[in-house]
Amino acid sequence: MEERLYDLIFIVRPATPEDEIKKVVSSVEHACTEKGGKIEKAEHWGTRKLAYKVAKHREGMYYYHQIRTNHGELITELERRLRVQDSVIKYMTIRLDEDLKRQKKLTDKREKRAARRPRRPAATPAPAAPIAAAPAPEQQAAS
Amino acid sequence: MAEEQKQGQTTPAAPPRAEGAPSGAPSSGHGGGHSGHAGQGGHSGPPRREGGREGGPRREGGPGGGPGGPRRGKRQYFRKKKVCKFCVEKMDLIDYKRADILSQFVQERGKILPRRMTGVCARHQRWLGVAIKRARNIALLPFAGSAAGSTAPKAVEAPKS
Repeated sequence: MEERLYDLIFIVRPATPEDEIKKVVSSVEHACTEKGGKIEKAEHWGTRKLAYKVAKHREGMYYYHQIRTNHGELITELERRLRVQDSVIKYMTIRLDEDLKRQKKLTDKREKRAARRPRRPAATPAPAAPIAAAPAPEQQAAS
Repeated sequence: MAEEQKQGQTTPAAPPRAEGAPSGAPSSGHGGGHSGHAGQGGHSGPPRREGGREGGPRREGGPGGGPGGPRRGKRQYFRKKKVCKFCVEKMDLIDYKRADILSQFVQERGKILPRRMTGVCARHQRWLGVAIKRARNIALLPFAGSAAGSTAPKAVEAPKS
């Protein structure tokens, strides 16, 4: 099976103690390593205002992970774990690799097209300015 | 502003005819104010398409045949102005995590703005819609109409304190 890239975001209650957050994060990491996934990125976005109320909270702490894995079961496992946690009020996993593939394709296409087109040498206005400036004093001097 | 400037301009001219100035100044000032107003109307027209369309023929009734000419010019302006932002920046992927970018294409209440307002190209609008919906799912952007829910409790809190 091919490798797939996923984004995992979850929101933790703002008033959660540090240990509990650590527990959640480590459980995510643990599940990843156990099921043969690889965490490419792990970010903490801090406490942010939510666009709408979630479980009666206006704010939440965002945690972001990017996970590369061969096994889809890992995602179901992660979601199950997050669902069970009381401190996690919202989570979302999104498959990214198809979007990235499309992005790469388009970028390559654009680069190819740019390479095919002869590049115009940039006009040099810098030398023009001194020349234009120079005649003026001469004219003034002559008149 | 326009009146002050006009008066300022008239005062240097005024001294020759000392007593004629008071009567002359108000009228010229009035005229200046009026023309300034019309100019403002013309300015506010072009950025908004509908405003320009309606305002153009009515205000500039004199050059009724004219609008054909000027409007062509205006249209070019519109075209120039309404370029897809994502095409210009050569973005091949619209990231749902960038709420700051996405919020530019969403109304205050969270509605996705139509293409005709923002000038986004069809392809990018399609991606944009997906990105906005993802962002909504994780509470980065509001679902349409949920803004009311967030403002109401604030109003309740304010009288208490």
